[in-house]
Amino acid sequence: MKLEHYGLIKAQASRRQVLKGAASVGAMGALGALGAWPGTALAQGELRTQLLQIPGVGAGSPTDADWQKVGELCLEATKANVTEGEFAGVELTFMGLNNQNLHNLLFRGFLKSWEAYTGAKITWIDLAQADYNPRLQQAIATGTVDFDLLEMGAPFEGDVCGKGLASEMPDWVKAQIDMDDYVDYLKAPVGTWEGKTYRISIDGDCHNFNYRTDVFSDPDLAAAWKSEGGQGEWGVPKTWQQVQAATKFLKGKQVAGQDAYGYLDAPKAWGGFGFYFLGSRATAYAKHPDDKAWLFDVDTMKPRINNPAWVRAIQDVLDALPAEPPDQLNADPGTTAFQQFLAGTGSMVSWWGDVGSSAKTSDGSVIGDTVGFDILPGSDDVYNAKTGAWDKLPSGPNYAPNMAYIGWGVYVMARVDGDAKKHKAAWSAAAHLGGKDISLWASAYPSGFQPYRKSHFNVAEWVAAGYDEAFITSYLNSQSNSYNHPNAAIEPRIPGIFQYYSVAEDELAKIFAGQYDAQKGADNIAAAWEKITDQIGREQQLALYRASLGV
Amino acid sequence: MAKAASLAARPAAATGQPEESFLAGLGQRSLMLLVYAILLLWAFICLFPIYWTVTTSLKSAVDVTQGHLVPWLDFMPNWKGWKSLGLSPDTIFETSTVRDEFLKRFANSVVTSVGASLIAVVLGSLAAYGLSRFEYKFGPWRNEDISFFFLSQLILPPVVLAMPFLVLYKELALLDSTIGLILLYTLTVLPIVIWIMRDQFSSIPIELEEAAMVDGMGVWGAFWRIVLPISLPGMVAAFILSLVLCWNEYFFAALLTSTEAKTLPVMVASQTGSQGINWWSMAALSTAAIAPLVVIGIALERYIIKGLTAGSVK
Amino acid sequence: MASTPLAAGRHYKHGAEDLPAGRRAAGRLLILLATLGLAAVFVVQLLDRLGVLPLGLPNWRPLLYAYVLWAVALCVGQVILRGEQGRRALFVLPALLFTISMVIFPTAFGLYIAFTDWNLSSFAGRQFNGLANLKALLQDAYFWNALRNTVYYVLAVLVEYALAFGLALLLNAEIRARRFFRIVFLLPFMLSPVAVSWMVGKSIMEYRFGPAATLARHLGWDRPAFFADPVIARLSIMAMDAWVTIPFVLILLLAGLQAMPKEITEAAKVDGANGWQTFWRITFPLMLPVSLTAIVLKIIFKLKLADIVINVTAGGPGGATDTVTSFIYREYRDRSNVGYGTMLAMFYLVLIIIFVILLLKFAQRRMRQGLG
Repeated sequence: MKLEHYGLIKAQASRRQVLKGAASVGAMGALGALGAWPGTALAQGELRTQLLQIPGVGAGSPTDADWQKVGELCLEATKANVTEGEFAGVELTFMGLNNQNLHNLLFRGFLKSWEAYTGAKITWIDLAQADYNPRLQQAIATGTVDFDLLEMGAPFEGDVCGKGLASEMPDWVKAQIDMDDYVDYLKAPVGTWEGKTYRISIDGDCHNFNYRTDVFSDPDLAAAWKSEGGQGEWGVPKTWQQVQAATKFLKGKQVAGQDAYGYLDAPKAWGGFGFYFLGSRATAYAKHPDDKAWLFDVDTMKPRINNPAWVRAIQDVLDALPAEPPDQLNADPGTTAFQQFLAGTGSMVSWWGDVGSSAKTSDGSVIGDTVGFDILPGSDDVYNAKTGAWDKLPSGPNYAPNMAYIGWGVYVMARVDGDAKKHKAAWSAAAHLGGKDISLWASAYPSGFQPYRKSHFNVAEWVAAGYDEAFITSYLNSQSNSYNHPNAAIEPRIPGIFQYYSVAEDELAKIFAGQYDAQKGADNIAAAWEKITDQIGREQQLALYRASLGV
Repeated sequence: MAKAASLAARPAAATGQPEESFLAGLGQRSLMLLVYAILLLWAFICLFPIYWTVTTSLKSAVDVTQGHLVPWLDFMPNWKGWKSLGLSPDTIFETSTVRDEFLKRFANSVVTSVGASLIAVVLGSLAAYGLSRFEYKFGPWRNEDISFFFLSQLILPPVVLAMPFLVLYKELALLDSTIGLILLYTLTVLPIVIWIMRDQFSSIPIELEEAAMVDGMGVWGAFWRIVLPISLPGMVAAFILSLVLCWNEYFFAALLTSTEAKTLPVMVASQTGSQGINWWSMAALSTAAIAPLVVIGIALERYIIKGLTAGSVK
Repeated sequence: MASTPLAAGRHYKHGAEDLPAGRRAAGRLLILLATLGLAAVFVVQLLDRLGVLPLGLPNWRPLLYAYVLWAVALCVGQVILRGEQGRRALFVLPALLFTISMVIFPTAFGLYIAFTDWNLSSFAGRQFNGLANLKALLQDAYFWNALRNTVYYVLAVLVEYALAFGLALLLNAEIRARRFFRIVFLLPFMLSPVAVSWMVGKSIMEYRFGPAATLARHLGWDRPAFFADPVIARLSIMAMDAWVTIPFVLILLLAGLQAMPKEITEAAKVDGANGWQTFWRITFPLMLPVSLTAIVLKIIFKLKLADIVINVTAGGPGGATDTVTSFIYREYRDRSNVGYGTMLAMFYLVLIIIFVILLLKFAQRRMRQGLG
């Protein structure tokens, strides 16, 4: 504490630090209030308020003790379905991610009180993110599935549920976790696999648009924008056409004495995940409101990656790169979000909710009070894959938020199905992690998970927890408007989806390095995708693709 | 070094400070200055990233992203990285899942890498001694072919052994077992030990053993009583190189371990992912991970150098 | 002594021993029995697995134990059967039996996989597809690009070797604080590749805040982007790899230098050679065998360079830093394309073995000429 105060005085006073100081004062107040609460049984609303005070916004990262406390407070739902000691002697193995000592390590804290109450014991397999996909695929292929519970991203459902390895969710679990509370897009068909429910969602994913409010309200830039003949008023771009114009305009400009940059692209491969960022640029061009498909044709699995919409998105990146920071070619999405945008470089970036949740709470962020959120930009025209024409919609620009990765879920493996006690224990543990209240805490504090339930979008709860109302409203709206968008571009959960992304990244790297033009490179990707589809099995892929789109 | 012996037969000069020969030939005092300048520059190059790693474990992210260098002068150190591992002064006595995880992996890493290195040094030294002293003929294979066979085990990129080893270990019930990991690591460092030790034994004059054999010792007796003491330091050097390689092995550890045999490198890699990177905890973990190696390095440094100088013991 | 043919004088002479016929028969019997036992266990396990003889064995552990027993019996049998020669074989047999037992199945299975179409996500599973993988490989621009880059990386070994040699000479000289320098020069080898990638590649060499970039700006390089230009990116990766592995080469060379009889260089000095001449005429040729071991091991490490590339540049920009091994990683792990990935590795293995054999042969010839 002493050190940090000293740091505040010593370091040059930046906005971030002023903000940080204010936040910790707020947190102290909140903690004082917490101490005044009666320790008796809490009503639902009070429980949620109390949860959000652990440890309090601005009080630093939650610790193990906080995780355990949250787990204990949220145990009521389990107690309703399980008697004390019911699972004594049951041993379960849980495979999941260790991402910066969150995910699996967080689950351990959450489940400690559950283990104490039920008598079950859980052992853990922690994987680094880079190993996750290969480890899962190799376990499936060699029959070495040695885990009962699995934390998995929805895009892998094709590989797991498609091969009959997951256990179907019992109805009592659906009731315990209140599945109706999920945002609509996480319900069927995206929440199911061939009509059956397997996933307990613990996360919802979409890319939103993060921008710097100070840059887009800067009077000097506004004047320069006018004098250089920019279209309309200087303000936050609403379409990719405007993003491109603003990015090119900002090249060579300065804001508050620092080089200004516009949109931040992530041209460097990122184990397949980098493809989502081209996707975010492309969905507004490629996802037509009359057509559910945007990545492949639904009748033939023919890739659309080399159609005019995607090629235009690739070309946009090529056009914008010269106006982006000089080292941008080696920037992966992690760099753009955490080393550039949050550290004050660049004024627009597409990312998952982590940027917003880190902007105010992370020590790495210097932009806490100058960041705004929206759904991804739209486009004045949208490509119609059926007619081959660019349509202008009567409703205005076409928006198509990118539901990248759909979200993490907890799955129970089919290998527990033969053992009734183990089956119930596994599902009870999974339900505890996917509970309604616990998820509120997880979406408000560093956990790796975004809001994904209707009940998460109650601004008053967040404000009571210490968040700034304008900030949190903007953030939550960008999420819920993406989830609930009628023209959302939803990722197909077909087997091997990351193979497609990975090979695309390889080709995109060549395009961005100037070895091919956009069309030629996109044709190469399409050819490689056709090869993968044939290798995996075209008929099955087509069927699963259609099922995942619900057509 | 076969020809060394014959060259050594030339009349030896009896001047002092023989080790200075290289520099003495070049000569002057200003040259010594240059030498120290180069040594210090290289020491700086070696140390700076380590310094950066250690100090980063005491930084907040903003100190990293602003490139602050000197603690107290341009950033205030805090225990952030160590706190995230449950190893800072204020968290060391509290329960910490992360610390439990770290300690378990640390202990496994020690057992696995020490075990594998020991086995590799024993098996490898024996084989190297045999290859440097006797002529073997196993079918069409002669010494050179055997040496090359060992070396070739080093060549294949480990990634392609993923599926075969996964299947093999599953069938042998060796998955997620420390013994399985030790066997695999032994395999990967064995060629290095053999090649290093072969050079070692070749530089030990054979006359020593011949004298011992005249005294009635067998080959194993001569090896045990005469050769081993001379080459023991060399084995220590090979042991340390093996230890470092095993200690940092990531690929098979990530593939073949689950809950029991898990080791440290996977945890280091876990500090980065789709949510960016925890600079401080990766730095703290890396610091904690090299600390034992540094201690061993300092403790055994004299053996590394002396060890590989067996030939000078004449 | 790298791969120089073992000069006859360096070896003990084998004399054929006269062992009693009964002892030889006992040795043969032991080996025969052990072999039969091993074969029997194998057959029983196979039958169990095929369901012909359902014993319900959970795994192949029994065969493993049988192999260990067989190996022990073989070693003992050798001594009984062949006496002194058997005792000599005993030096190399354990390592050989261990290595063979560990690699025989993976190699055989790997070779089979290389000729199959096996995408882990595929519904059809593993399918034999003959030479299709090899044909695809020959036309794979990524592979050839990565191979070309790998050649560049391997060439950098010469620079690393020269640097390490220079440092080894300095450390071998009469200097103060020698222990300090020796320990410090060893440190970079101890940092794990993941830590090096992040702490050096993504932090020290970071464009905005990295101390290396700051230094470069002070030295007049305006835009010190270490990984955005193909050539600079390749050099940066080389520098990082060199930083990690020079200590390894350094230790081997330093050891060689210390093992060198000092009388030789002294003699050269008496003959009137200066330091430079002494080095080239005496020290360097004498160091060739150790150098060869160091270079061969370093080249093999280099050929497997992957972690740093994957973490720092992911092969970019535009494949300029890609290595064969990092490409195989992508194909095998990220794309679960196991059949093709294995073929890539097997083909690469053959290339490397040919290369290393040629290198050793060439070096031996040079050494013989140089020292003859």
